[in-house]
Amino acid sequence: MASKVKQITVWARGVVQDKEGRDIANGLANAAKKEGKFTQAFDNYVDLPDRVNVPLRKYARISDEEIEERYEYENEKPEVVIVADATLVKGINVLRGMEKGGVLVVNTDRKPEDILKFIPNRDLLKAIVCVDAKGICGEATVDFSGSEGGVDAVGLGAGMAAPILGALVRGTNLVKLENLAAVVKNKEALYKGHEQAVVKTL
Amino acid sequence: MAKEMVLSGCAASAQAAKMAKVEVICSYPIRPYTALMMELAKMVANGELDAEFIYGEGEHAQLSVVLGASAAGARVLTGSSGVGVTYAFETYSPIAGGRVPVQMMIADRALDPPGDFGSEHTDAMSCRDQGWLMGWAENPQEAFDNCLINYRVGEDHRVLLPQFVCQDGYFVSHIPGKVLLPDQSQVDEFLPPYTLPHPLDPKHPVSHGPQIRPDQGTIMDLQRAQAHLDAPAVIKEAIADFNRIFGRDYSPFVEEYMTDDAEMAFFIMGAHTMTARHAIKHLRSQGVKIGLVKLRFVRPWPTQEVAEALSKFKAVGVVETSTSYGGAMRGGNLLHEVRASLYDLPKRPLTTSFMAGLGGEMVPLKEFYYMADILSEMIKDGKAKKTVYWVGFEAEA
Repeated sequence: MASKVKQITVWARGVVQDKEGRDIANGLANAAKKEGKFTQAFDNYVDLPDRVNVPLRKYARISDEEIEERYEYENEKPEVVIVADATLVKGINVLRGMEKGGVLVVNTDRKPEDILKFIPNRDLLKAIVCVDAKGICGEATVDFSGSEGGVDAVGLGAGMAAPILGALVRGTNLVKLENLAAVVKNKEALYKGHEQAVVKTL
Repeated sequence: MAKEMVLSGCAASAQAAKMAKVEVICSYPIRPYTALMMELAKMVANGELDAEFIYGEGEHAQLSVVLGASAAGARVLTGSSGVGVTYAFETYSPIAGGRVPVQMMIADRALDPPGDFGSEHTDAMSCRDQGWLMGWAENPQEAFDNCLINYRVGEDHRVLLPQFVCQDGYFVSHIPGKVLLPDQSQVDEFLPPYTLPHPLDPKHPVSHGPQIRPDQGTIMDLQRAQAHLDAPAVIKEAIADFNRIFGRDYSPFVEEYMTDDAEMAFFIMGAHTMTARHAIKHLRSQGVKIGLVKLRFVRPWPTQEVAEALSKFKAVGVVETSTSYGGAMRGGNLLHEVRASLYDLPKRPLTTSFMAGLGGEMVPLKEFYYMADILSEMIKDGKAKKTVYWVGFEAEA
């Protein structure tokens, strides 16, 4: 894939975080679209249909030019990885494909140092951002209307996707906070996530 | 005013069916077409769409339900994918032979074995000779548009044929893209209300699908064949009206891209056309004289248009996303029809078949560059070394 396309991969847990994971990818793409970018956001088809707690990937792509690889269905080289459930880092190489200088965002109540212990290829990272999204706005929203290519019926960013997106702005310059605020429902949680995020530069 | 939305192919098809005021819908779940029914079920539940929504107990039942409803004068929609499409196979000939214009949206999926939910055209292509209209969408916008165009053509009393309205599973059905939703008044202008010449009606009893004698069979086959001879003129009318009302620029049967001075071309349909176009753009910047011809209708097959479009090239690569095991030339299904279309030309291009994207595998830019290299080699050698290349699996690849 052309390097001009920024790839963002979201890892989430099956069923219980299916919507939250998708909301993160969609929220990011929708906010970037407001900034005049070409964007894509979609589920990893082969991770679905999901089962409870299985690892799922959702993807977003942001580009200044038209995205030619519209039908390449995996992000091979993500420069930002978002982990919606911190326990995923223990069993999975979440940074797979990342080139040196990437950013990792993790939903956790632990400190960046604690999470980094579980990331064997942490030298790829230029920064890690930790945010206690669950602490800010509680459990995830469970809704299936937007799965399998359907149209989401309950709105984007009512659950913990909002604080995670807020935290993302602290570690990256992918999108502006105000553009995220224009697309997520729970703006208070978005701002809290942004304020409370802990950033460690590596 | 037309409204711009970002929708998956499934959701776009559901919006089109809603604007077509579909009256009876029959569902049975299978990936990847499922979201079509998810969306329609939501519309019916929310009171946005006044339609009977019936849950079939399988694909055979789905098609049987919509056959009955359409025969009774209702505009209908059903759909499926992969083995669901083939499970309903028995019903396809009676529906087409009965001249009942049901519409079936197919988001294609590879057939088993093993269980693979990736996109492949083989499921629908296996049903191509039953008398249905058939064609593929390249993106969610075309999925929307093709729904309306196919109702209009299939329900026209000069045609009266059912329609397989196909889109590549996942690539088109799941990956959202820009869709212009027209005004309802535009759709109403394009698509007249559905009528059947002799509907099932207790007040005016008629028989549909009775047992016949063998000597009555040929005439019915002939009429079904004749409908496919009559359909192209109706398709041309419908596309002209569609372009005028909705502000599009569709060709009825084949669309060409960068073919004016091209020596070689891809012949292709469906999702991967988009990637092929980008590949051609890059190849052109390196001086490679290549273009593409995209097929919009597989049935009725546009023999004349295909021959005319392809006659100007020295070499044509038929990009297949379906299998025809043991068939002539051992490629996919399209090569047979392309070669047959070219046979009467005084000067024919060299042709070969590229098996690409089977099982739902991606067809990235580099695979199109590989195919273009083969076409260049064919022109240089003055012959095709092989009639089929399994892209990514050839020794020299």
